[in-house]
Amino acid sequence: MRKILLLVKKDFYAEWRNEHAISSVLLYVFATVYITYTAFINIPAQTWNVLFWIVYLFVSVNALIRSFDQENSTKALYFYQLAGPTSIFAAKFIFNTVLLWILGLLTLILFSFIAGSPVRDYPLFLLSIFLAGIGFATIFTFISAIGAKTGNSHLLTAILGFPCVVPVLLELLKLSANSIGLLNDTDFGTDILILSAVNAILLSMSFILFPYIWRD
Amino acid sequence: MQSNSVSKMNNKWIKIFAVILISYTFIGGMWRPLNPGIMEIHPEKTKCGERIEVKVSTYNTHLDKGSNIAYLYIDSTYNIKSIDFKATSNNEAAITFDIPQFLPEKSPFINAGLIIVNPIDGGFARPSSVSIAQDSVNTLKGQEMWKQVKIEKFPDALHKGFPFRLILEETIRNIYYHVPFWMAMIILFSISVFYSIKYLFKPESDDAYHVYAYNRVGLFFGLMGLITGAIWAKNTWGQYWSGDIKQNMTAIALLIYAAYFILWKTFKDEQIQLRVSSAFNIFAFVAMIPLIFVIPRLYDSLHPGNGGNPALGGEDLDNTMRMVFYPAVIGYTLLGLWLANLLYRMNKIENHLKQ
Repeated sequence: MRKILLLVKKDFYAEWRNEHAISSVLLYVFATVYITYTAFINIPAQTWNVLFWIVYLFVSVNALIRSFDQENSTKALYFYQLAGPTSIFAAKFIFNTVLLWILGLLTLILFSFIAGSPVRDYPLFLLSIFLAGIGFATIFTFISAIGAKTGNSHLLTAILGFPCVVPVLLELLKLSANSIGLLNDTDFGTDILILSAVNAILLSMSFILFPYIWRD
Repeated sequence: MQSNSVSKMNNKWIKIFAVILISYTFIGGMWRPLNPGIMEIHPEKTKCGERIEVKVSTYNTHLDKGSNIAYLYIDSTYNIKSIDFKATSNNEAAITFDIPQFLPEKSPFINAGLIIVNPIDGGFARPSSVSIAQDSVNTLKGQEMWKQVKIEKFPDALHKGFPFRLILEETIRNIYYHVPFWMAMIILFSISVFYSIKYLFKPESDDAYHVYAYNRVGLFFGLMGLITGAIWAKNTWGQYWSGDIKQNMTAIALLIYAAYFILWKTFKDEQIQLRVSSAFNIFAFVAMIPLIFVIPRLYDSLHPGNGGNPALGGEDLDNTMRMVFYPAVIGYTLLGLWLANLLYRMNKIENHLKQ
């Protein structure tokens, strides 16, 4: 557990010191939100819902696609000896999840600030961002680990990741449509349950499979 | 040596059963005609107290051979009998009804079903085919008038065919050529996951090449399922791609597996290739499960069993169809195993030649 915390700290410092990486992600968020706003000006609620999640998906991909870039092979071997693959994955996953939560909130704030927000039920919408962070972080951390094992990792990560993310994304769209008031589904509890179950299954699968990907 | 001969014998039986079952599916699925049914009715509306002549076109019937009786029925107690039945050909007839003065219910109109009975085809019906309107209400008299006829027990049809369903009609046979692809695909993907797990526990390159072979056949079956489904959709729903949730989700599931093949080709080191793609295969299967088994159940679908449509089974998959459907599933699966085995061996030879 302490190892994991240390590794999270290390990731955090590495990201913080590498100013250009974090600022490029922030700029990406701002640019995409602004482009979608200028393209639409008046965004209807349904389009807002779709646009938000698409922007958020692309922001997440761009933020996480580099997850394992820094762990080039000698460093990776060193960490592998030191902490073991499960701790490495846990640390990456925790760091990425927190990063995605922050980016999700940022996207929401920027979207509401520039294009207005049709959201009525904020707790539910924040819950969907919370679940989205876990789901996207699971999938893209795992897939970017696979991508790191191949040469041309970034393109491959996107190709492998997007289809895998669809089940999570569809549930999210439904849940957030509920919080905006497009859908009056009183039974969104099942959606939350299904989303959490899908997240839990994918997360446990990634934890089981990561050691096989990581060792050389 | 012994295990080799055993697997060879199994192979032989897989091939024999695959050929027998698939030929049986094609012959049995096409051989049997459809049950008689009512295609079109004109007019579809009438009023109480009128005498109407209903022109009916039917399917697979023998109206001009033998005496016919027709009924308009509301439920098992209330119905009326035709007063005249003129068959103009074996599939066309003009039926005359005297509609009583009142309906047995208070509602302003009622949808009555049409039943035609004859000794060759037995009895066949089309529910809510004529809508009858009434101006004044007299429930008691109406009940009296509609109660006078009791529908006799239908004679048995001379031939038992596949069920007749409006809109589906002859395309109902596609159930033998469309659905088994999906079942076989799921079975093939499950086998490939089994080999992936086996490989990760004990790395033997044969197992990883099995994963590759089973996935290729599984993806092929998935594509075939999508194509046969699209052709069926064109003929029943009106468009090749109807945006049905199951169509969309399976397309995405196949994308995940297509990604597996891209992944497979990108590696330079064979050891890493086999291990990482096996791991991704397990992940892909887990990600596919909600796409195919969970999400389609949450949305409306045009498929049977979703969004208020009748499910597979019950009336849509009766015993005559089961006799073809289940062998078809087994036959397609065996064909998949056979294909996967061939692909696996081809791959092995190619690798051998490279070295």
